[in-house]
Amino acid sequence: MRSDAPADAGFDDPLADRVNEARLATLGLLVAGLVHEINTPLGAINSNHDVLRRALGKLQDILADEVVEPHELDEVRRIVRAVDGILRVNDLAVERMRGLVSNLRNFGRIDGSGTDMADLHEGIDSTLAILAHELRPISVVKEFGELPRVPCRPQQVNQVFMNLLMNARQATPDGGSITIRTARLGDAVQVQISDTGAGIPSGQLGRIFEPGFTTRDGRIGMGLGLAICRQIVDRHGGRLHAASEPGRGATFTLHLPLVQPPRIEETVQRSPDRTEASHDEANSDTR
Amino acid sequence: MTMQNTVMVVDDEVMVTAALRSFLELETSYRVLGYTSARAALDALQTESVDVIVADFMMPEMDGITFLKAARDSRPLTSRVLLTGYADKENAIRAINDAGLYYYLEKPWNNDHLRLVIRNGIERSSLFNELDSRVAALESAHMELHGVRRRLLQAFR
Ligand SMILES: Nc1ncnc2c1ncn2[C@@H]1O[C@H](COP(=O)(O)OP(=O)(O)O)[C@@H](O)[C@H]1O
Ligand SMILES: [Mg+2]
Repeated sequence: MRSDAPADAGFDDPLADRVNEARLATLGLLVAGLVHEINTPLGAINSNHDVLRRALGKLQDILADEVVEPHELDEVRRIVRAVDGILRVNDLAVERMRGLVSNLRNFGRIDGSGTDMADLHEGIDSTLAILAHELRPISVVKEFGELPRVPCRPQQVNQVFMNLLMNARQATPDGGSITIRTARLGDAVQVQISDTGAGIPSGQLGRIFEPGFTTRDGRIGMGLGLAICRQIVDRHGGRLHAASEPGRGATFTLHLPLVQPPRIEETVQRSPDRTEASHDEANSDTR
Repeated sequence: MTMQNTVMVVDDEVMVTAALRSFLELETSYRVLGYTSARAALDALQTESVDVIVADFMMPEMDGITFLKAARDSRPLTSRVLLTGYADKENAIRAINDAGLYYYLEKPWNNDHLRLVIRNGIERSSLFNELDSRVAALESAHMELHGVRRRLLQAFR
């Protein structure tokens, strides 16, 4: 549903609708990636299970006639070797799926969407893991500094990482790279996400945080990623800026204060107040 | 005694190459070459003669179709099979004609089906090889006849 659709009685805020559309669009991409990630270990286990059954059948055939002939011993050794290899692969596959589940749990912070003292590196890592499929053709460089834990709503901050990384991915051709730098700057932490993609024309730099601003062809829920990021960051008392050298890439810089802000407000969904407030800052992006 | 057939398996996930190897080594007598790097596999094709190549679609260095196209340049008669995840299916099918692939299989694959596809692929490659050598033989016979004709004409001039 587009925002210009007639407003329903229950939905008097078109922005809230579109925020949800944006979330669904992100979710759709996410699910496609996850399906792919799960398919690899699943494919391996599925095949191995079948091979184990075949191996067992062969062993049963050999044992059926009571005496094991010397030449059959070679066959038995071959089977044992195959089974050994299979077990090792299954270990890997199970480990992979366990990791996926733990990253998903970490990303969504099922244990609560409340305020927490979060390890941002952990949040970045689990976001990267969830985007692993999307990011495969890109090389991701991590330059992590020493970071203290940060008072924030981890689920929302992960959403910021997710949107920034997705945008970087979408701007960067296969074979390009994305660099994530973190550092502590006094009583704030800084996270910088740079890509080697198309960059942002200077005329657009001031507008990219506007809700609905997009250069992608009109798919549902587009143009809200950065508006949502801005809003989340504002509510954390932080700052989010973009810089770009057109043709050579873009850098998004996030600052979050280490001192707990008076109140980190409810999520965008629950209190869909206007984001106009953050427009004023847009000019500061042309640095 | 026939020559041992060779199957090359290329997937960036060692889980997949190892699972395919386990199956093929248990159930067939093929020689199995497994690679987790498409580039390394292309290098190997310079020296190895391979009957069938099975390659994953989604790989970091180059995608499976680019790889299989490059493989065709060095081994034009080898049967090439693409292994795709469900999510890649549409892209993959679109590129299959373009790259002249023999078959595509979806992950998770069925082992019996895989074995059939590989066996048919080997047969297809060996028919192509035979055809190729027959054509070469015909060509050289043709050249020879041409030479004979020329010498005859010269003799009677
Ligand atoms: N890393 C980036 N490189 C180049 N352009 C970017 C980048 N991130 C954002 N943009 C630009 O900002 C616009 C708005 O981004 P966003 O709010 O996430 O919405 P959407 O991604 O749906 O277009 C994008 O359409 C794109 O033109
Ligand atoms: Mg976006």
